[in-house]
Amino acid sequence: MLSSLQNPRQAAAQLMNFGLILTTAFMMWKGLSVITDSPSPIVVVLSGSMEPAFQRGDLLLLWNRNILSETSVGEVVVYNVKDKDIPIVHRVVRKFGVGPAAKLLTKGDNNLSDDTELYARGQDYLVRKDIIGSVVGYIPFVGYVTIMLSEHPWLKTVMLGIMGLVVVLQRE
Amino acid sequence: MYSSLVRIQNTFGFFTTVAFVVAAFVALSDFVAPRTPVIHSLKTTNLQVVRGRPHYYSSKKEEYAIIKFSLDADLSSLFTWNTKQLFVYITAEWPSTTPSGATIASNATANQAVIWDSIITAPSSDHLANIGPATLKKLKKSAAGKPIDPSRGKLSLKNQRPKYQITHPSGKMASTEDVTLRLHYNVQPWVGLLTWNQNVDYGRWLKLQGGLSKKFNLPALKKKDEGKAKS
Repeated sequence: MLSSLQNPRQAAAQLMNFGLILTTAFMMWKGLSVITDSPSPIVVVLSGSMEPAFQRGDLLLLWNRNILSETSVGEVVVYNVKDKDIPIVHRVVRKFGVGPAAKLLTKGDNNLSDDTELYARGQDYLVRKDIIGSVVGYIPFVGYVTIMLSEHPWLKTVMLGIMGLVVVLQRE
Repeated sequence: MYSSLVRIQNTFGFFTTVAFVVAAFVALSDFVAPRTPVIHSLKTTNLQVVRGRPHYYSSKKEEYAIIKFSLDADLSSLFTWNTKQLFVYITAEWPSTTPSGATIASNATANQAVIWDSIITAPSSDHLANIGPATLKKLKKSAAGKPIDPSRGKLSLKNQRPKYQITHPSGKMASTEDVTLRLHYNVQPWVGLLTWNQNVDYGRWLKLQGGLSKKFNLPALKKKDEGKAKS
């Protein structure tokens, strides 16, 4: 580390490299978000309500544009309950009406009853803008790391510690 | 340049690259396998409209339609090595009506509701299905070392009771006209794109033949002293 202080140009180049990596990753994420028109184009499955199709830790790719046809019954959608931040991945089982005001009802494959109890008080159906995307792609297991990180926060500290160690060791 | 840390990094990078390429190959192999789903027959056998409540404690009274049906289908060509499960579902579709009661025929599928669905797992994902250890052992033994049994995709249901009794947001279902039943499927892969039944042929994937039932009308509310109305 001391060697980098003596060579500020190299330190600045390393910092810029690091910043470049971070911003590239961020721009790729935001670019994907714009292409798919979804605020969160890649989600990790958190619950077992869609088993055996999706297990906890699976990665889903979302698409939120209705280019060829409207979101219809049978599609697996991700939605946020009003004013809550937890995205729920379930399947649309009923649709009444057409256009953006159509009423949609969802249900998890592994649940016995539909999602009426999950919706906000007084809300019996979802509308299209509650949905942040429908699932078009699937990759198993990849997202389990994020679940482990959120359920065991000490893992985050350990990971940051290891990354810091790697950076320090590489300089020498 | 040859520290163990660098070697670990290189190995891990190589692993992710290989895993990504293999996954892409598996996902693309789906388009090479032909799909020839066929529905031999789909028809209703019994129709009822009853009054009920959405929950035990709710005061709202709604009308629910119970549509029993018979199905004979062969969806075995949809199972490939990349299939995790096949989700088959039957929807009842009907056009919307204006407030005065006239049917808006321009959109015959304005209302759609799933009346029945079924999850058919492929042998590679049988261990994830909701079955007990004894049944699982038997299933694994019967499927081990063999290609996917075509009977997994063959559905033959007679006078099947629907899983869901459907209603409309307005609460009225009695005497709804021009209702049809339609079969759909959703193939869930191990890696790749989720696909549904399509309306046109895409290369080796043929469209679903015959998944639509004849139009029928729902009967009036079942009264206590009348018999059931059949279509």
